[in-house]
Amino acid sequence: MKFLPVTACLLLVPLSLSAGQSQKTAEATQQTVQPKAPSGSAETGDQVFAANCSRCHAAPMSLSPRITGTVIMHMRVRARLSKRDEQLLLKYLAP
Amino acid sequence: MKLSISRKWTPYLYMLLLCTCALLRAQDAGEEADHAGHIPIIAGGVGYIQNVNGGVTTLMPQVSPVLVAPFGRHFLLESRTDFTGFFQREDLTSGPFKGKVFTNVEYSQLDWLADTHVMPVGGRYLLPFGLYNERLGPIWIKNLQDSPFTASIGTRTSGAGDGLLLRGVAVQTPAMSTQYSAYYSFHCGVDQLQSARTAGGDVSLFFSKPRFEIGTSYQRFLEARHINNSAVYISWQPLEASLDVKSEYDYSYFGSGYWVESAYRLDRLSLPSLIQKVQFVGRMQQVFPQNGGGNGLPRVRTERFDVGLNYYLRDNLRIISSYARSFSSQRNANVWNFGFTYRFTIPLWFGAKR
Repeated sequence: MKFLPVTACLLLVPLSLSAGQSQKTAEATQQTVQPKAPSGSAETGDQVFAANCSRCHAAPMSLSPRITGTVIMHMRVRARLSKRDEQLLLKYLAP
Repeated sequence: MKLSISRKWTPYLYMLLLCTCALLRAQDAGEEADHAGHIPIIAGGVGYIQNVNGGVTTLMPQVSPVLVAPFGRHFLLESRTDFTGFFQREDLTSGPFKGKVFTNVEYSQLDWLADTHVMPVGGRYLLPFGLYNERLGPIWIKNLQDSPFTASIGTRTSGAGDGLLLRGVAVQTPAMSTQYSAYYSFHCGVDQLQSARTAGGDVSLFFSKPRFEIGTSYQRFLEARHINNSAVYISWQPLEASLDVKSEYDYSYFGSGYWVESAYRLDRLSLPSLIQKVQFVGRMQQVFPQNGGGNGLPRVRTERFDVGLNYYLRDNLRIISSYARSFSSQRNANVWNFGFTYRFTIPLWFGAKR
């Protein structure tokens, strides 16, 4: 029980920091990734990439198309991605 | 008797194999709408950690290469070996550093990416229990280098299982997906391939819009003493911030415990770029031994609080530092970690862009 305040701080401090962030910065971040995506699947591929990588680690800034297929196969098994997610990621990262 | 059965089934097995190959070939032909290369690679992490625990310094250089070799678009061979050095002073606090490098084959498995719903994995695989063992283990992923006390629950005896693992997506909608793993591991005492006889599974629900995941793991440990291990965990990474919150509760015959970890990067704040590379980390954990504890758990009730400061020089290279204070009836101790981690990816083949 004596650690309850510490635990609460662990959760609340980052939350309060994140609440102050502007929507503009989030949009700017998305824009830096979007040019690599093909038309049509841009939003979905971007979302799959951002959501699934960040569940465990920081998403890589770049990935060579030469190795993209291998990396996505590895991540499909490790992160239990669906076939649809795999195809969206491949089209997004190596159109 | 065995020979006659194998002869009887041989034609059917050949037919099954041919049909499978034809099906996979047809699937491959229909999937080449992208330009992704499928070539063998060596990836992994390199790091150096200097740990000071209660005044005793340990130097820990580490490299964990992963060989990833695809065969077509449906089969993948992957293997990770960990080389970690442990060097301490001869008299713990004085004298020259001495130690050795330990080698450990963490996993070596063949994956069949058969379908969304089923991906069979055979060989030596990491036990899918809770958040830590399979997902946060690599040196370049974990935000704090010391694993939680309860990381040993559900991962005995080596963190890996030898046998068969099935995993995949049970249900997927635009709003959420349900993922599962189920495995059986047999007992193996061969050097570098040690594993315990266990069976278990993991189910998690991931809600894509809030990026929130909740999951549970169960394992039946089937060695001399049959015991149940279980875990419940959550993970949350909101879209609006570089925030990562994870928490897990584990229960075992030898004890129970929980940890809460939060990491926050400043990269989306309007700050100078040098400061944007900073990441703050905090973790709090408690463990409550029962039936004598041990088996990877402390033998007395222990609390520990960690704070960390990481600095990302690049997305794959960072300087790490952390301080922890642990409290127990046996002793209180300060734990310091300082070092760096680096993630690498090396193609083993030229060209091969499809």
